[in-house]
Amino acid sequence: MTKVFSNNRMNIFYMIVALFLAVLPFVYDSRSTLILLSQVFIFAVLAMSYDILLGYTGIVSFGHAMFFGIGAYTVGVFMKRFEPETSYFLLAVLVTILLTAVVSYIVGLLTLRLKSHFYAMLTMAFAGLFLVLAEKWRTVTYGNDGFTFRVPEFLRDRTDFYLICLASMVIVFILLKRFTNSPLGKVLQAIRENEQRTESLGYSVLQYKVIASVVSGVLAGIAGILYAVSLRFVNTSVFTMDITLDALLMTIIGGVGTLVGAIIGAGIIEFSHHWLTELAKVHWIFERWIIFFGIIYILAVMFFPMGIVGSLQKLKFGRKKKTSAPVKSEAVSQGDS
Amino acid sequence: MDVLISLSLNGLATGMLIFLLAAGLTLIFGLMDVLNFAHGGLFAWGAYSGIWIYTSTGSFLIGIIGAIIAGMILGIVTERWIIKPVYGNHVQQILITLGLMLVLSEMLKVVWGPNQISATTPDYLSGSWEVGNVIIIKYRAFIIAVGFTVFLLVQFLLKKTKIGLVVRAGVMNKEMVQSLGINIQKVFMFVFMIGAGMAALGGMLLGPYSGVIYADMGMEFAILAFIVVVIGGMGSFSGSVMAAILVGLSGSFMAYYVPDLALAANMLLMAVVLIFRPQGLFGAKG
Repeated sequence: MTKVFSNNRMNIFYMIVALFLAVLPFVYDSRSTLILLSQVFIFAVLAMSYDILLGYTGIVSFGHAMFFGIGAYTVGVFMKRFEPETSYFLLAVLVTILLTAVVSYIVGLLTLRLKSHFYAMLTMAFAGLFLVLAEKWRTVTYGNDGFTFRVPEFLRDRTDFYLICLASMVIVFILLKRFTNSPLGKVLQAIRENEQRTESLGYSVLQYKVIASVVSGVLAGIAGILYAVSLRFVNTSVFTMDITLDALLMTIIGGVGTLVGAIIGAGIIEFSHHWLTELAKVHWIFERWIIFFGIIYILAVMFFPMGIVGSLQKLKFGRKKKTSAPVKSEAVSQGDS
Repeated sequence: MDVLISLSLNGLATGMLIFLLAAGLTLIFGLMDVLNFAHGGLFAWGAYSGIWIYTSTGSFLIGIIGAIIAGMILGIVTERWIIKPVYGNHVQQILITLGLMLVLSEMLKVVWGPNQISATTPDYLSGSWEVGNVIIIKYRAFIIAVGFTVFLLVQFLLKKTKIGLVVRAGVMNKEMVQSLGINIQKVFMFVFMIGAGMAALGGMLLGPYSGVIYADMGMEFAILAFIVVVIGGMGSFSGSVMAAILVGLSGSFMAYYVPDLALAANMLLMAVVLIFRPQGLFGAKG
């Protein structure tokens, strides 16, 4: 797997794509495309952070929205309460990182020593708790309706913001690539493949899982910041299950455990969301576009657990590069129930 | 005092509804090691199909029966086509059942429209009794009665019948049961069917209780049911009834005294249980 990506040709390809995207706004001036692409980049960050958990460590979180929401609300509240200046924005970013790290650490420590069900359930419940908090703590969050806010100067221009989102995505991608190829990342993948063996090799599995959960949570928070800034508005929807589901769909459809898959998945979901919503004028069934994705998602989990990128890799290299991420990860831990 | 009693009744009724959902979850988990995230979807489907039958036929009883049958059919379909292909793989199970939840609740919106539907109590269950100073709403008493009846029935099924024996043995050691010549697949399907039927019944009963049904109610109640399953101990049937009553009561009392913290209290309870007794308050095994 490392070979695929340390492969120079692949890196050059990524660079060309990134460069192409970077010059795009100067050549093709379409406001709606820029906004849509910015959304893709933001959700790509979220999906990549999710991939660290699901694809690289083999743990399922159903509360990823809470980190996303913490980021979105933190920046919103800071911009609303204080002046929309760069210094406060940076402060908001710092607070987000701190908050998401603390929350993901606590949640991880509580549940990661138990079976995977517990993490999925507890994160889901915690995300629900944050949703309730955002609804009830009206003095700060303005309840269900949310609030609009102004953003610092350097984030106002759509093109600049587009470039910032693109840069964030590229930076996160490179960082996570390094992270997953580091010895630490290797241990995480070992946990995914066989938790018992990793444990008996002397690694403290819990600590590694908690690290993965913190890294993933912080990055999701950053995606949340970008999301709130892109809308200049935040409401309780950032804490809903839909956000988690988006991340999940993107990662699964794109391909788990590949990072690129998360980006591709984000592109596919966001673009089809856009187009299918347009199609809703033609036939009402497209209003419920998510149902198509739900079905594709179920089929993907059953038949293509490696997603688009994973399946392509397998095709390209002809031999089994790696066993698909979610498969097998826990087949062994059956015995301890 | 009146307030206390009426709050307790309220909590008991909610607790019973949660129990109907959580009991299936915990049984399925205990036997098959599957945490069914789509269980809330079955709950909501029970509510919609039951209320639909009830309003079109005018008979509440037929509505209930229809809801249970609809839930059971969905349960069998779910077990056969969705969960069976991924037995023994936790991550895939969690992912696939969540996907099913998504499809189920979207399908509800496709079939019955995205708006919430109102549900009324039948005449013979509306109104209330007055005992001393305490007002007992009939429908709540009805829910509590149904909940306890279902509990006793399932308890009887588990403790006194052959199939119950097999189920209990399966919870302990399914390989052994299988090697004794019992088709565990059939038992799985049976338990899934019962669990789905109970969830659908719970959903149907919730309709007139809250007055409206909506597609996302499955998810809301599923979260409560998960809390109950954790507190009661995963796989423990009698634990689930105790925990459901606990959660229902704490919900109703908190909603009265400190409304903003109602859900938070249950969450906190779950967190405490997870830290100190991950096998659950009433569970024997982890």
